[in-house]
Amino acid sequence: MLELTIYDYMVIVGYFVLLFVIGFVIKRKVHDLNDYFLAGRRLTLPIFVATLVSTWYGGILGVGELSFNYGLVNWLTQGIFWYLVYLFFAFFLANRIRKSNLYTIPDLLERFYDKKSRFLGAIFNFIMVTPAPYVFSMGIIFSIMFGWDLWIGILLGTIVIIFYTIRGGFLGDIYTDVLQFFLMMIGVAMIIPIAVQTYGGFDFLTANLPETHLSLTGGWTVQMILVWGFLAFWTLVDPSFYQRCYAAKDDKMPRKGILISVGFWLLFDICTTFTGMYAAAASNAGVLVVESAATSYISIASALLPPVLMGLFLTGVIATIMSTVDSFTFLGAMNISHDLYKNIFKKDATEKQVMNMTKIGIIITVGFAVVISLFFNSIVTMWYTIGTIGISALIVPILVGFFYKGKKSPLASVLSMVAGSATSLFWLITGYLNLDSWGWPQYIGGFEPLYPGLLASFLVFVFVNIVHMRRMN
Amino acid sequence: MDLAYLLIADAIGLIVATFVLMYFFFKELLKQKKH
Repeated sequence: MLELTIYDYMVIVGYFVLLFVIGFVIKRKVHDLNDYFLAGRRLTLPIFVATLVSTWYGGILGVGELSFNYGLVNWLTQGIFWYLVYLFFAFFLANRIRKSNLYTIPDLLERFYDKKSRFLGAIFNFIMVTPAPYVFSMGIIFSIMFGWDLWIGILLGTIVIIFYTIRGGFLGDIYTDVLQFFLMMIGVAMIIPIAVQTYGGFDFLTANLPETHLSLTGGWTVQMILVWGFLAFWTLVDPSFYQRCYAAKDDKMPRKGILISVGFWLLFDICTTFTGMYAAAASNAGVLVVESAATSYISIASALLPPVLMGLFLTGVIATIMSTVDSFTFLGAMNISHDLYKNIFKKDATEKQVMNMTKIGIIITVGFAVVISLFFNSIVTMWYTIGTIGISALIVPILVGFFYKGKKSPLASVLSMVAGSATSLFWLITGYLNLDSWGWPQYIGGFEPLYPGLLASFLVFVFVNIVHMRRMN
Repeated sequence: MDLAYLLIADAIGLIVATFVLMYFFFKELLKQKKH
């Protein structure tokens, strides 16, 4: 448990009070389903940037672990690869998504193919937006701060999120995101100047870190680096990106918003990477005690920051995680109410019924995430499993839908989703059944599950599309 | 020059950019309220 002063607790409590206030006030702004789902498609540029940047960045504990253990390679694998995909998204997808005037990824799949694709897409979408890794992170942070059991932190954090998300829908989500964005940026940025002043400049890092920490590739193998490169494709099928593009005020704004967001991520990633590296160097120099790599940020912050700033930093870390939990929770709920309930099972549902179903969906999504997070017990494993299955299933049908102008077979879409996800799942399971002496999974042929999953999805799509289209003709 | 100055510039740049974005956020918010 951390030793915090009364002033730090006041900052943290103040943050939660503000979340409740936003939850109370925002309900008045919700007039119809369009407000509840997409903030009336009136998202201005500053809100677009704040909500996208904060939602997309939830894995601060994982980033801390990577930069503490491996150094600069964190910036390559968690930053540079992703910026390239963000730029692709900004220039080739963002404005098209807004122009389509839809609500979700499964909406797009139905437009490209058919209802069956929507149904399957909704299931994979739901898996991808499960906030389980972030719910788990929330439990860890609260247990470090207050010494609580994991489940108490998870329970309290999710209750606050359920409150303002149920009341304000997407509006509640984005206005709390703006607050969380401010706190996470300031909280993380202020630690670097203090670390430089306390420990020294680059000389301190070079003297106390292994050479690999200061190399962009970190001494990793090409395959290890490429796996992260492929995981960056997550962006292309990420529901939170799509939702924010759909909600933008006009169809030119998403591109501009993503480009500005990339600037924020770039500055932020440099801060997080070097904070982890300073923690590692200080630990090696014997001037800092770090209990675990995942919580290295907390250790360095508590050693360097005075009261109030420490509270602000911790609030920034909590905000980073909570802004992702709330957005993903709402996306999961929309999957249940909009994609499945309204568009498949009860087409004549009224706006009120859909809104009520969304509220039930919020509770189902959070409940599912809590169960998953307690089952897996590891943030990185959850990320990896969810990302591998979701990307393998969705990326081929979506990209083909956007970029292939010829005739597309709905059967090819469905079978490609099944083949991609089943293949990567099979690879994952066999890997986890064959662990090496270090406890790492040994995958068939030494290939990470994402590669065979994507290949299977692509080949099945091409084959079925050719055969099916010929038969139709 | 110590590269650490670049790091500090990065952190200060992030703080300044955040305040600029918040300025535009509140400006838009006030504009909406007036309407």
